[in-house]
Amino acid sequence: MSATHKPRGKWLALLCLLPFAVFFIAFQIAPLVWVALNSLNTPDGWGLGNFEKAFASKFYMQAVKHSLQIAFWSSLFGMLIAIIGSYSLRQVDSKLRDFVIAFSNMTSNFAGVPLAFAFIILLGFNGALTLLLIQAGLIESFNLYSKNGLIVLYTYFQIPLGVLLLYPAFDALRQDWRESAALLGAGTWAFWRHIGLPVLTPALLGTFVILLANALGAYATVYYLTTGNFNVLPIRIAAMISGDISLDPNMASALAMILVGLMAAITLVHQLLLRRSYHVPR
Amino acid sequence: MSRADAPGASLYHRAVVWLLFLILLLPLAGTLLYSLATSWSATILPDGLTFKWYLQLWGEPRFLKAFGQSLLVCFGALALSVVLILPLLFVVHYHFPKLDALMNVLILLPFAVPPVVSAVGLLQLYGSGPLAMVGTPWILIGCYFTIALPFMYRAITNNLQAINLRDLMDAAHLLGASTWRAAFVVVLPNLRKGLMVSLFLSFSFLFGEFVFANLLVGTRYETLQVYLNNMKNSSGHFNSALVISYFFFVLVFTWAANRLNRDKA
Amino acid sequence: MSFLSIQNLHKNYGSTAIFSDINAEIEQGEFVTLLGPSGCGKSTLLRCIAGLTEVNGGRILLGGEDLVPLAPQKRGIGMVFQSYALFPNMTAAQNVAFGLRMQKVGKAESAQRVQEALAMVELGDFAGRYPHQLSGGQCQRVALARSLVTRPRLLLLDEPLSALDARIRKHLREQIRSIQQELGLTTIFVTHDQEEALVMSDRIFLMNAGRIVQSGDAETLYTAPADAFAAGFIGNYNLLDAPTASRLLGRPLSSQVAIRPEAIVLGQGPISAIIRSHSLLGNIIRYRVDAGGVELLVDVLNRSADDLHANGHPISLDIAASAVKEVA
Repeated sequence: MSATHKPRGKWLALLCLLPFAVFFIAFQIAPLVWVALNSLNTPDGWGLGNFEKAFASKFYMQAVKHSLQIAFWSSLFGMLIAIIGSYSLRQVDSKLRDFVIAFSNMTSNFAGVPLAFAFIILLGFNGALTLLLIQAGLIESFNLYSKNGLIVLYTYFQIPLGVLLLYPAFDALRQDWRESAALLGAGTWAFWRHIGLPVLTPALLGTFVILLANALGAYATVYYLTTGNFNVLPIRIAAMISGDISLDPNMASALAMILVGLMAAITLVHQLLLRRSYHVPR
Repeated sequence: MSRADAPGASLYHRAVVWLLFLILLLPLAGTLLYSLATSWSATILPDGLTFKWYLQLWGEPRFLKAFGQSLLVCFGALALSVVLILPLLFVVHYHFPKLDALMNVLILLPFAVPPVVSAVGLLQLYGSGPLAMVGTPWILIGCYFTIALPFMYRAITNNLQAINLRDLMDAAHLLGASTWRAAFVVVLPNLRKGLMVSLFLSFSFLFGEFVFANLLVGTRYETLQVYLNNMKNSSGHFNSALVISYFFFVLVFTWAANRLNRDKA
Repeated sequence: MSFLSIQNLHKNYGSTAIFSDINAEIEQGEFVTLLGPSGCGKSTLLRCIAGLTEVNGGRILLGGEDLVPLAPQKRGIGMVFQSYALFPNMTAAQNVAFGLRMQKVGKAESAQRVQEALAMVELGDFAGRYPHQLSGGQCQRVALARSLVTRPRLLLLDEPLSALDARIRKHLREQIRSIQQELGLTTIFVTHDQEEALVMSDRIFLMNAGRIVQSGDAETLYTAPADAFAAGFIGNYNLLDAPTASRLLGRPLSSQVAIRPEAIVLGQGPISAIIRSHSLLGNIIRYRVDAGGVELLVDVLNRSADDLHANGHPISLDIAASAVKEVA
């Protein structure tokens, strides 16, 4: 079909792509390239000096460790809650279901600074929920501003994203698989073990990876909560470029590349695991 | 209806869903209550209720300025996005369908690359020199365009595929219209729904954006989120009213997007 | 005592009754078809027998044992679904082996039985394929093998051929029937396709709006429909009300009648008619004739050019008294 178009038409069409390309390169590609290049820009010339310094530094490695721990636990808990929630959502009547899903999507707009603020009210040192839990004797104290507090906070904003991603995945589980498995002698547990979970595994893995990436890159929430004082990678990176004490864009670039590298590594592991597990072609 | 679920099971499922709802509602409810409280310190419930915080908020010029500036930047970014993305979509899907695969990879970049990382490069590239725009709303508009891109590209692509672009254009050509005319008169009106939905969704996302706003512009062009951050040390009640006002505003927009989506289906 | 006995079965959905008071007796080794239009309750009845849908009253006795309180896992029933329901994460062999796995059958025995089952449906070479690599007909055959390998006492098939194209449907029809006969397996088959029912079954239960309207073998159902619905559903009966039929046949009749199109003889007889139109259905020519204001369908075997009459041509008809069935 396109063979009938005159070559002039094609060049005109390509010209229409130009404005988009200019803006996309300017605001998305160029910064990334700058970061990649200047991560290799050390005081002693071009090389891996920044990375060596980063890996040798206890402080920076703590940032990496904290980032990974918070990302892992919040993604895990968030996903578990999302799985249980999504499965039940499929079983309730459509009015309730549509309402809760719409509400979940709306609360995902609440993430970032407003969410951190809301959590301070609820779970800060004098927060209503903190006091309630202490009075009920369930906990002795709760420090929202610690790593565990951050895990709770991050878990919270992972839930709507998890539900959004997992709810359609349960669509893939057909009712007649359940029925034919039952007639062949499989109870509930056997069904999930042999059929349900294996079929869901690609979606579960994919969701987990997305949640991990979401948590690793999160900045606003932790920044507002701890005024930039908690040691995670995004905070470290931002601290080195925003005119605080230590301005070092090259070091920041190196840390940024480490962050991107972590996310790339996670994606790679995800792809490898997918290949080994069962894959449904759509 | 199916034997697989005993009657007790549906009670369990309803309970789980309600529990999920409550968990999601809690921070919002807490903030709402705080915004309506006269004072609420180390007790489980507030001392009294009042609207005075909202009145104070909406009478505060700095808040109104931040609100307006947020709106300006978001609308500006969306306008830029429409102008850039619509021609892109048309050209890709009509002339170079193979590019769609490349585009699908490219639009992953705003998701795959955290804003903090881009901010490092952006500050250096546009901080000084001929392209200096750090500290101005222009750099925000540019960055927000990259954020809106994935939403808009995917939504309108789905729309384009649903209306079968090639057949529509062929029919228009046979009836005598030039490609330009056909694009404007025939294709564009059919993209209305996809465009509207993605605009509303992108707006909700952009309105709550903080990273770029804080790192690249900060107080020099204070958006609502930056304002919220800067007001951190003032009254918690005032901040609550601020948060609820922000959320309510975004809620109306998301509700509009949902309504549109349902009309489409 | 028959092998499968359904007694006073009730099923409601909310306040509507899907069926109330269904009774049926099925002998061991019989191939029975539940035939009827969409919504008549045949699939629901099948699912009740399988235990996938709860019943609201009545008993289902299989070999003397009431199935109603039993979970589907414990009923010893095999079922083939319209949508195949093959587990996508398992190969054909693993799918077939699943039931044996649930029964905790040993690996060696299981492998052998799986092989035999797949050979029975002529898919021995496809054991390692996944469902997405198989065609619709192949999937259905794997589903059949899967339900047979566990040696069930009863086999249920819920419109298994509806999703397949005509050629495969015919082939599978024969295969299912021959396997069933070879194994002597009691089988209930659900379909809305009367040709399938007539070809495959020992007995047919014709259902409408939650009732069993008529039950009998293919010949009985076809030649002696019990009521107007049955006559309208099976074959292409000419249904005439009493006064019209009386006028046409020249003798008084007290009820509605049904006349088979192939029972009307063209070219001789006392009734005069005009040919309105005809359609060529391969080996049959189907005429629409107007016999004094009464429209009739007449089927004639397409033996030669002599059998083809032009439209508008006058023709005479003969309808034997035995061809006129009185229906309620």
